Amino acid sequence: MTASSYALELRDISKQFLGVKALSSVALRINPGEIHALVGENGAGKSTLLKIMAGSLQPDKGDMLIGGRKVKLTSPKAARTAGIAMIHQELQLVPELDVAQNMFLGAPRTRFGLLLDHAAMRARAREVLNDLDPTLDVRLPVKTLSVAQRQLVEIGRALLADASVIAMDEPTSSLAPAEFRKLLALMRKLAARGVAIIYVSHKFDEIYAACGRATVLRDGTFVKEVTLADTPAPELVNLMVGRQVVATKHRAVHLGEVMLEARGLSWGNRVRDASMHVRRGEILGIAGLVGAGRTELVKLLAGAEKPDAGEILLRGTPLHFRGPADAIRHGVALVPEERKREGIVPMRSVLSNAGLPTLRKLNRFGWLKRDVLRSRISADAARVNLRPLALDRPIRLFSGGNQQKAIVCRWLSAGMDLLIFDEPTRGIDIGAKQEIYQLIEALAQEGRAIVVVSSELVEVIRLSDRILVMQGGRVAGELAHPDQFSEEAIMTLAVSRETPAN
Amino acid sequence: MNTMTIPQTAAIASAQRANPLGLSWRDMGTLIGLVLIFAVFAVLSPAFLSSRNLVNILQQSSINACIAVGMTLVIISGGIDLSVGPVAALSAVISATLLASGAPAWAGVAAGLGIGIACGALNGVLVAYGGLQPFIVTLGTLSIFRALALIYTGGNPVFSIPTEFREWFAASPLMLPMPVIIVCVVGLLAWTLLRKTPLGEYIYAVGGNEEAARLAGVPIERTKIAAYAISGGLASLAALVVVARLGAAEPILGNLWELEAIAAAAIGGASLLGGKGGIVGTLLGAIILGAMRNGLTLLNVQAFYQLLATGVVILLAMLVDRLTRGRG
Repeated sequence: MTASSYALELRDISKQFLGVKALSSVALRINPGEIHALVGENGAGKSTLLKIMAGSLQPDKGDMLIGGRKVKLTSPKAARTAGIAMIHQELQLVPELDVAQNMFLGAPRTRFGLLLDHAAMRARAREVLNDLDPTLDVRLPVKTLSVAQRQLVEIGRALLADASVIAMDEPTSSLAPAEFRKLLALMRKLAARGVAIIYVSHKFDEIYAACGRATVLRDGTFVKEVTLADTPAPELVNLMVGRQVVATKHRAVHLGEVMLEARGLSWGNRVRDASMHVRRGEILGIAGLVGAGRTELVKLLAGAEKPDAGEILLRGTPLHFRGPADAIRHGVALVPEERKREGIVPMRSVLSNAGLPTLRKLNRFGWLKRDVLRSRISADAARVNLRPLALDRPIRLFSGGNQQKAIVCRWLSAGMDLLIFDEPTRGIDIGAKQEIYQLIEALAQEGRAIVVVSSELVEVIRLSDRILVMQGGRVAGELAHPDQFSEEAIMTLAVSRETPAN
Repeated sequence: MNTMTIPQTAAIASAQRANPLGLSWRDMGTLIGLVLIFAVFAVLSPAFLSSRNLVNILQQSSINACIAVGMTLVIISGGIDLSVGPVAALSAVISATLLASGAPAWAGVAAGLGIGIACGALNGVLVAYGGLQPFIVTLGTLSIFRALALIYTGGNPVFSIPTEFREWFAASPLMLPMPVIIVCVVGLLAWTLLRKTPLGEYIYAVGGNEEAARLAGVPIERTKIAAYAISGGLASLAALVVVARLGAAEPILGNLWELEAIAAAAIGGASLLGGKGGIVGTLLGAIILGAMRNGLTLLNVQAFYQLLATGVVILLAMLVDRLTRGRG
């Protein structure tokens, strides 16, 4: 029997929710010291599988073996004791406590079983972290740390608990691209010590850089375990999606009048003297590293924040947006980056969420013309291919991709002329991603002006007719024509260190 | 969920569909709780289910129900209004003074409601533009409004309320006492506001996710001010009912009204985190609290134990709510 050599083995795992199959007969095998990718679209069952490994869900059927021994993980605590640690997308640290306190959270060292032994905890925390990053001061409160450093603390916590398996759920979703390198080096160190790592990510470049093998899930079923070196990306995509994803050629562009122009916009040190314009029928991409001021710039454009200096001209007329509502009245709207925090009202239906900006137009003496609203939203929801097409269903029950479609539906119904997308496909699976792309292109084709902020270079290149690259709050350069687009060209502008102008 | 199967969609559709009574499942739960409480008291006390006593229960619940409806709007919008009792007291003493000095009844009523709406709007402005937490704002105005009522009257009740005014509130059209009818109308209006008007959608959106609502163009400030103003207005309406019943306005009127109203809203399914709640649930919650008090009094249970029972019912309701969550 070679089975006993796996750090973690899942056999035939099945799980139902209210009669709906979330997982059926899923298998997963990971060797000690292996970095193993777990891939699949949103809704493929990755999260459910992770929750089962973390002990927060119990499978209906199937076995879990750790180091060859069958285990039953009845609680998150049992999973930790068994040596499985989770690093979640949203890190689970207490901001006010220091690094050492966070690492010992839930299992503190004490003196006489009563008093916290801070000295011992700090010493041990330092010992564990020394290998990973000797520069990190364990006495610093976690709130003062960068996201990458916080991740380090979480990993340290896992090592402290003697984890033999560490599952990382989208660990780079809030990291700057460059920080992935450091994380990769860290993962390799852990792997060299024999820790098995499960790496969940949508980003192929990371998966191929980090992992040896991948387990592919689709619709809650196990599709295949592949060796990544023998599996080119398009094939992996096909396994995940179960259909051919077509790469479309660049669309024909019909430019109209200048819809919006910004001159010398500044907002503290977030945005400095930024100028730009976008025309009807055009998709303007804004690229740059995390922290380059892209989100901040588009918030100024959409009236969500107020600039300290500079002016905005809409169809050639200078004006100041008093707030998002004002911008919307002028036909300018933002599809924000953080869907959960800024996009949706989770408990309300799709109809309510999509209808918000349209209500004022369907207001007759304070009375809402609900039938008109419903027919309008339902037409637009069908157009964005909302699935399921259930307008009265709370939006929180939809997948990320469909929540995003509902928000696009919101602005379609409200009749916007300029739509600003901030990271339109963050946390959205590949299939829905293509749909969002096509939707954005169709919106431009109809003569709307579109601005797309994206950290994914492939995405900016795929969508844009023209690309602005930001760096340190400034517009560092422009790639005026698709012929000039390349990842190198964008990155060169994004990291360029020009001499400060003023 | 692009891989949604047909049975799953069907399951969702059936979960969405309202039950035969047309109530949401959460309201259905509150109704079941109410029926259970009625059943228990009916068994323990034969007088409980008499039509006269049932009307009594409604009448006794009406003040709290009126306050709780306003409280529900504020809670759904993500706030809380601790100042309802003092707002009621302030509008009671001012309208009573007017009435006692011979002003026509409509003037007294208008003044009372006007004061209530103005006090509520002040709360709303402080919350919306002051950047202060609703709990703190209304904790402050709770003291201020109470102090104003006490200062205005020198701490003494205002008597000599004209009988014309008292009789209007003492009437029983449609076989129901006037306060009950007032609450029915108020409830219907508030229900319509939440379900059928843009303001209702805004109130849910602001409480459900304020930043998302702002970016979607919802007038956040106006929505909040409206919710608090309505709450203040309903507090003063409840005050007028009490003044008519007692024939006097006391500056200490409305002590702890806020807690009872919050309890009714919470039993009815309103979430103190905002974004969730409804009028039907709140009215049922108010009747549950009223029925408890009435039933325990019929059974000659000491007031101390009544308080105990009320607390237990609130916690039980919340626990059941927690355990059955996720049904929509």
